[in-house]
Amino acid sequence: MPRNGSITTRLIALLTLCAAVIIGIGMLVDYRLSRNEILERLQRESRDTVRSVVIDMENWLEGVEGATLLLSRIVQQREYSEAGLKQMLRDAVEVNADIFGASIALAPGQAGTDLGFAPYYFRRDGKLAYASLAGADHNYQEEAWFTDAVAAGQPLWVEPYFDEAGGKVLMTTFAVPVYRQDAMGKRFLYAVVTADVALAELHNYLQRLGLGASGFGILLSRNGIFLSTRDPANIMQHYSRAAAAAPDQATWQEMFNAALEGQVITRQVACIDVPGNCVIRLGSLASTGWPVGVVYSEHELTSPLREFQLKTGVTGLLTLLLMALAVIVVSRRLTRPLGALALATRRIAQGDLEAPLPKAQGSDEVAGLIDSFAAMKQDLKSYIADLEAAAARRSRLEGELGAAREIQMAMLPQGGEASELQDAYSLWARVLPARSVGGDLYYYHRSDRMLVVAVGDVSDKGVPAALFMARAISLIQQLAASTIDPAAAMASLNTALETGNENCMFVTLFLGVLDLDSLELRFSSAGHTTPSLARNAAVTPVAQQQGPALGLAPGLAFPCNSLQLQAGDRLAIFTDGIDEAFNDQDQMFGVDRFNEALLNSLARPGSIAGAEIFDVLARFAGGTPQSDDISLLLLDIANGKTASTRMRSDFTRGPGLTGRVQAWLNQVLAPLALPGQVLGDLMLVTEEIVSNIDKYAGLAAQASIALAVEVDARQLVIEVRDEGTEFNPLVQARRAHLGSATEEASIGGLGVHLITSLTERQSYRREQGCNILRVTKLLGNQPV
Amino acid sequence: MPTGHKASVENMELTTTVAVDEANSVARVALAGALNTDTAPDFELRMQDVLKGGYQLTVLDMKDLDYISSAGLRVIFKAAKQAKAAGLRMAAANRKPHIDKVFEILKALPDMAVFANEKELDDYLDAMQKRAR
Repeated sequence: MPRNGSITTRLIALLTLCAAVIIGIGMLVDYRLSRNEILERLQRESRDTVRSVVIDMENWLEGVEGATLLLSRIVQQREYSEAGLKQMLRDAVEVNADIFGASIALAPGQAGTDLGFAPYYFRRDGKLAYASLAGADHNYQEEAWFTDAVAAGQPLWVEPYFDEAGGKVLMTTFAVPVYRQDAMGKRFLYAVVTADVALAELHNYLQRLGLGASGFGILLSRNGIFLSTRDPANIMQHYSRAAAAAPDQATWQEMFNAALEGQVITRQVACIDVPGNCVIRLGSLASTGWPVGVVYSEHELTSPLREFQLKTGVTGLLTLLLMALAVIVVSRRLTRPLGALALATRRIAQGDLEAPLPKAQGSDEVAGLIDSFAAMKQDLKSYIADLEAAAARRSRLEGELGAAREIQMAMLPQGGEASELQDAYSLWARVLPARSVGGDLYYYHRSDRMLVVAVGDVSDKGVPAALFMARAISLIQQLAASTIDPAAAMASLNTALETGNENCMFVTLFLGVLDLDSLELRFSSAGHTTPSLARNAAVTPVAQQQGPALGLAPGLAFPCNSLQLQAGDRLAIFTDGIDEAFNDQDQMFGVDRFNEALLNSLARPGSIAGAEIFDVLARFAGGTPQSDDISLLLLDIANGKTASTRMRSDFTRGPGLTGRVQAWLNQVLAPLALPGQVLGDLMLVTEEIVSNIDKYAGLAAQASIALAVEVDARQLVIEVRDEGTEFNPLVQARRAHLGSATEEASIGGLGVHLITSLTERQSYRREQGCNILRVTKLLGNQPV
Repeated sequence: MPTGHKASVENMELTTTVAVDEANSVARVALAGALNTDTAPDFELRMQDVLKGGYQLTVLDMKDLDYISSAGLRVIFKAAKQAKAAGLRMAAANRKPHIDKVFEILKALPDMAVFANEKELDDYLDAMQKRAR
């Protein structure tokens, strides 16, 4: 079945509607024209029929009148014996077939007897019969036909009557009074000559006016008596008494009167003899003045018209049906490939590029569409293949870059984020490359009472910068072991980096050597961003003389600067990725904002403060992607209060591991007199870390886990090292979904939640085959 | 900051005492000491024994429990699951603040009844007995 709204459905609906409208209009016009034509024909026919019948009747009646008048003229002018009159009368009736019967009735006193003389010849069963109208019981001189004619003094048609004396039929009579003159010249009535016409004859004439099954002729006398109508019961009745005519009395009256005056009138009335409305057309006979007309049912007469309508309607419907069928067939043929195409397209969209398309037939638009789809499918295939290849290349490249990032981070002390607590100082550093790999570096190295720190920034970023950075940091490592003079070390670095540097890459570098006894920092800057110094709750830029960037020209000299540090100082060395970071309004972070962030975080230990500064920077940048590598190194000089200690112990795996670890922890932490809550948290965190390693690190049975505690006045760091398989519990460990009802609660995956909830900071790195997890717990009531 | 808990952290052992009220089908498991990685396996065996008894209610009395780690919670989770599956109930009573804290961090067993003190527990037991009658 065609679906709702499909092309097939729409075509059928649309075309059928159009055709219906066109055919409908055609039929309407045709109907209008045909209807008028048919109606006109019907009217003409009825008029013609009536006219011809009337003419026939007129001829007939005139024939009767003529014969009677001739007879009366003869009787007037010539003398006959009674036998002679009889013979003449007989001949006249015999010759005129139209006359039913005729009589010559002599006036009183003209006949030989008192009874008078009135011979009457009439037709009975096809023969002539004779009757005498003069009898003892019957005075013809009192009959209407006699008295009326005498009264009129001229020929007239007598009102119809039933002839008792003669033919014993319903008849009407044409009566002619015959006058003679006596010797004195005085005119006297001699006789009345009559001719009878049987109403049955008239009736026969009129019934020729067959207009449809229920049409018929009517004839009335001048007094309104029906001489002929369809129902014999109404003959000889006055029209007003004919039952069905009753409701239309007025109309009948009007028509009758009009007809008497010689008009031809047409009216619609209730039918007399048949049900329904009839049209009556009434005129009058010229000779007798009798109203004559036809009655016919218009409904019946127009039945051919209705038949015609019906035929046209049926034809129209059939045409519509055929056309709808044709549309279905044609549109199915047209749309079948479209349906198949839609199906195939859906499969293609779901990824099935092998889905077969329907065969294109011919060269129509659908075939064109299918061809286009086939081409599109082909293009899509090759495009997807290209895309897959590109994706594979990209993921390989990403894999390589990921590995490169790990290698690069491993070149930095503690793998890109370093935290160290020592008795005389504490240090925290982090590099955040803008891309997978970058050109920023930090470095520190302590040999005895000397601490070398370096922060550098290679020009450009990405892979080229990373490779140059690798070269630079290797050289720095080599030099740092023996460096006491940063300016000389800078010059050596420059010479080494300048060699074979065809791409003119360069490094800006801060290189400092801190004497841990005198706290004098001697440093040299190769075009590097000026460090900031936080001292006594104020941040100032470090005064310095700068040298040029490294790697651009051979044989350069670098000024050496000196800075006397004090207990409690915090030195911040950073790269321009920080102060030149932009937000989405193109505002630069700037040194001022950096110094403010540094000042605001002064109360927190370096590791927390550093992370906080990075957070401030990230919030400032908002959604703006990091455009340059970012590095920060915070160097805190210990004061009396912040002297730090580091304790360390190894624990062999085996029974009671947790007990041994916690016993040691209790022992080393006892002198600190930590609050019970803090101690409990540390115990719990340590157990979670150690038991996690014990369970999952895949260590040998006799392997050991190294625990170190670094503590100063502000923070306590627990570092746990193991040589197990590489695993970062902060990222890779399963974490149970918290807050589930008993049924759904996960057994296990809880430890890592406790570790991250109970310590302020956690970091993991992999170094020299070891997993190193460091967690920091802040001490005291410092706000974080 | 009170330092009262400090001494107790040093107790690394766990003592488990089980008292059964057969009439009311209540098992009361009192824990004392530390429920950690070392002590959890024994406690697990003990809990399995208690659950086998099929008591309508098992109350974990933590009045003298000083320390609990995820290893201990794991055992409690497992026991609670088994009890619930068997249509039995488990409740905790008398949790010390730092034990409470661990439960809170882990949003552990939100649907388990917890009684802050002996009175709440007694009221609950009374109500249970009345229902039983």
